[in-house]
Amino acid sequence: MAYDDLRSFLDTLEKEGQLLRITDEVLPEPDIAAAANATGRIGENAPALHFDNVKGFTDARIAMNVHGSWANHALALGLPKNTPVKEQVEEFARRWDAFPVAPERREDAPWRENTQEGEDVDLFSVLPLFRLNDGDGGFYLDKAAVVSRDPEDPDDFGKQNVGTYRIQVIGTDRLAFQPVPMHDVAQHLRKAEEKGEDLPIAITLGNDPVMAIVAGMPMAYDQSEYEMAGALRGAPAPIATAPLTGFDVPWGSEVVIEGVIESRKRQIEGPFGEFTGHYSGGRRMPVIRVDRVSYRTNPVFESLYLGMPWTECDYLVGPNTCVPLLKQLRAEFPEVQAVNAMYTHGLMVIISTAKRYGGFAKAVGMRAMTTPHGLGYVAQVILVDEDVDPFNLPQVMWAMSAKVNPKDDVVVIPNLSVLELAPAAQPAGISSKMIIDATTPVAPDVRGNFSTPAKDLPETAEWAARLQRLIAARG
Amino acid sequence: MNHLPVECPRCAFEEISLLATSPVPGVWDVVQCGRCLYTWRTIEPARRTRRDAYPDSFKLTAQDIENAIEVPAVPPLLK
Ligand SMILES: [Zn+2]
Repeated sequence: MAYDDLRSFLDTLEKEGQLLRITDEVLPEPDIAAAANATGRIGENAPALHFDNVKGFTDARIAMNVHGSWANHALALGLPKNTPVKEQVEEFARRWDAFPVAPERREDAPWRENTQEGEDVDLFSVLPLFRLNDGDGGFYLDKAAVVSRDPEDPDDFGKQNVGTYRIQVIGTDRLAFQPVPMHDVAQHLRKAEEKGEDLPIAITLGNDPVMAIVAGMPMAYDQSEYEMAGALRGAPAPIATAPLTGFDVPWGSEVVIEGVIESRKRQIEGPFGEFTGHYSGGRRMPVIRVDRVSYRTNPVFESLYLGMPWTECDYLVGPNTCVPLLKQLRAEFPEVQAVNAMYTHGLMVIISTAKRYGGFAKAVGMRAMTTPHGLGYVAQVILVDEDVDPFNLPQVMWAMSAKVNPKDDVVVIPNLSVLELAPAAQPAGISSKMIIDATTPVAPDVRGNFSTPAKDLPETAEWAARLQRLIAARG
Repeated sequence: MNHLPVECPRCAFEEISLLATSPVPGVWDVVQCGRCLYTWRTIEPARRTRRDAYPDSFKLTAQDIENAIEVPAVPPLLK
């Protein structure tokens, strides 16, 4: 049940009633972004949107909100569309264990159909670009899988990175690019710029749905996103060789843009309405010169709306942020039951854990802050007991309200690292971080009056499953 | 379209260049400020295309552009 390209996934979304074709003429602005913005306000099983009648364009095809609901996220992983969120995350974590699954190289990539090179490159002639939010500095590519290699180790397949970054179109063949310092491509760029060299780059648009998930997923520096895509798909990820850079790119992309990040150059970029629900920028950012564009005939331009959460971005990176933190915490602390890192890419995390001894939960919270992802995120951690579902916010609020003694259970650590986009950081990149221990104290931490908790009846779990089956069968 | 806008809605700079024209002739242009790189389509709402309607909170001055921080900072060259 693996999709090799965006088009086959759009077909499935349509069959499952999760794709809405908008055939009336719409304005490029503000209609497309406003419609995608609205999907985040009409309930958690909103459809993907497909536009093909955009004012002033002759053959624009625009897909929005492709991952923008729990139903669509489930379908992207080949799961039934009504799969509960906690089960989607658990299945994701289970498939992770198959990592690495070697990719499959194919020669006949459909994006070889059309090419622009050198002087002839004109991104506006290939892509129906449009603005998302009022204050954005321009038109953005915000759902690409960007491929780069470690200049000191270009042949290492694992160190080849595939990531999603914000990219502003600042010319017919020029892009501004944001590598957040915590992310892998920033390490590649630093190594190239230290030598005064340009960094070659391939930007792939309109990818298969699992590629979009792994490109936005916090993974270790030397882990291959393609090998993770294979594990999550349950089948090798199809890749092809990009003609100019020789990089490995998804076989099924709609558009492959190749060029270089020009060494040691910065130019004004932004602002851009970010996943934090705030604008960031303008800042002086690296610049890309585009040397070659390859594209399928009549490419589908996939983009995503992001702004005040929840938007597609949150569905796209929510589960894939929970799983690495869960795996990394469990590696040393098997007591950890579940991790909810779905809020603002894990700036706030809720962890359910059993306790080894008094004070243990706070240690789990500190560990979360020192995981690779936690260094740039995880500014607040809420710890809850093993029998609290961290995805069930009313249960989490019960734990906070009943179990927290602020003087003893709230710990604030000053001046830790956080990504520069975090709106509350001061200065940018630095934040205090907080642990809220909402677990029940255990010996020798003897505090409070927790000796007679009310528990679910022994038969309740069985009845919950039975009721879910009955509801699902009803359709 | 016949002529380019005369100033940038965001920073009031007066060099505006043409980036693209609509595939259906005469419907819109995409234009860009030569200083702050602000890019807009000529048929966008006034709040994005006209200096007098552009929100103050998004306006930029020449100093804002010059003094914007570098992200990421350019590293020292290795010898
Ligand atoms: Zn300007």
